Amino acid sequence: MKQELVKLIDLSRCTACRGCQIACKQWNELPASKTHNSGSYQNPPDLQWNTWTLIRFQEHVDSKGTLKWLFRKDGCMHCTDAACAKVCPTEALYHTQFGSVSLHVDKCIGCKECIVACPFGVPKYDETTNKIYKCDLCYTRLNGNQPPACVQSCPTGTLQIGAKDAMLKKAYSRAKELGGDANVYGDKFVDGTHVIYVLPEKAEVYENLPADPKVPLSIVVWKDVLKPAGLLVAGGVVAGAFLHYITKGPKTPDEETTSEGGKQI
Amino acid sequence: MKKGMIKATGPAERVVHWCVALSCLLLCITGMGMMYHSLNFIGTLVGGMGNLKLVHNFGGIFFTASLVCTILMWWKEAGVFSFPEDAEWIKAAGGYLWHVDNVPEVGKYNPGQKMFFLTVALFGAGMVVSGFIMWFPLGFSVKLVRLMYVLHALGFVVIFAFFFIHLYLVTIGAPGSAPAMFTGWVTKAWVKKQHPKWLKEMEKHGTLVVSGDEKTS
Repeated sequence: MKQELVKLIDLSRCTACRGCQIACKQWNELPASKTHNSGSYQNPPDLQWNTWTLIRFQEHVDSKGTLKWLFRKDGCMHCTDAACAKVCPTEALYHTQFGSVSLHVDKCIGCKECIVACPFGVPKYDETTNKIYKCDLCYTRLNGNQPPACVQSCPTGTLQIGAKDAMLKKAYSRAKELGGDANVYGDKFVDGTHVIYVLPEKAEVYENLPADPKVPLSIVVWKDVLKPAGLLVAGGVVAGAFLHYITKGPKTPDEETTSEGGKQI
Repeated sequence: MKKGMIKATGPAERVVHWCVALSCLLLCITGMGMMYHSLNFIGTLVGGMGNLKLVHNFGGIFFTASLVCTILMWWKEAGVFSFPEDAEWIKAAGGYLWHVDNVPEVGKYNPGQKMFFLTVALFGAGMVVSGFIMWFPLGFSVKLVRLMYVLHALGFVVIFAFFFIHLYLVTIGAPGSAPAMFTGWVTKAWVKKQHPKWLKEMEKHGTLVVSGDEKTS
């Protein structure tokens, strides 16, 4: 492993300028989709195959009755125990040397299993190419020692990238500095994500952000239990059949045996 | 046809059997090519993993049709247990596992075969339903699709294991069985050994067809 990197998103500094959203489109050459006004600055309304990061706008009234306007940069969390990579049948989704989860687009067969498995709802499907797409943390830029396009564009210092330990330290000291409900989100589940939030509010407050994300139990049963069981059980049956043949023996019609001569047992 | 053979199956039964058997095998092989990364090379045989998925998906349609025919054709004969003889046969494990002086006599299909039929019918239907939902996952709720993955994998574990039991019994485990699904004719000794009650029933009702007899011509 070259170096585990973490992208830190300090939402207390985000002004929702959406520079990251545009920079992502520009660097990754993602076209825009025709959209409509849904009464929110949040546009498009959700992540898309061609929108890998998105600022979510949320009006939140806290327990004291104060109206707060919450911004959250949504996108791939780059899990260590990544459900998407776990289910991918062709290893199109894979872990890079930075710990991020990248995509070999040519290997994707459009089975959509990652879409269903991801606890964050990140991978999105494109019908035209029959493939899924998602943020790859600007893998090519990381390889060139450049920060991801979103980090490069951020004017407020909300987005930073660096070594995992340093970023975590920064995150915790910032949360402490903010006080109140401020907390660090990302290092405590799925063996740690490579995108870490400093959330000014409790995680439960944010829309579309699971408070306790994990690889779904069904996915664990499928890939860690039933997948090996398929071969083990079949192997056991073959071994059992062989043992049966050499111990109990086959059930043979009587015409092929004889009772003449020899000793009967 | 050698004289004195007994007719065990008709052409329709054999065609349906091989349709469901070969499509099931195709789905097992192509499915394993996607489930196990070390078997991804199976995709290469059909020109890539994308094609493998297509073969699996459309093979599933053929399997569905075959399965419907299978169930319709054998439900009455192999889908219903008849008591008490089937229970006694199960208690003796059909004489397959330990020594039994007199294996309880059962009809055309023994309870082992009935269990195999019911497993194929039940898990096969489960595979069809879960497979269809996995094919078009975005039209269903995430929770349901995740459950279908588990069902599909469980169905594979069961069907794949049963396939080897079936294969063992019709080849070396119970010699003389395989011709029933190739030519349709089996020896009288085999019927006497495997399905004595069925033989008696056919003799009693006059439905026994023996090669070389006037009836067959």
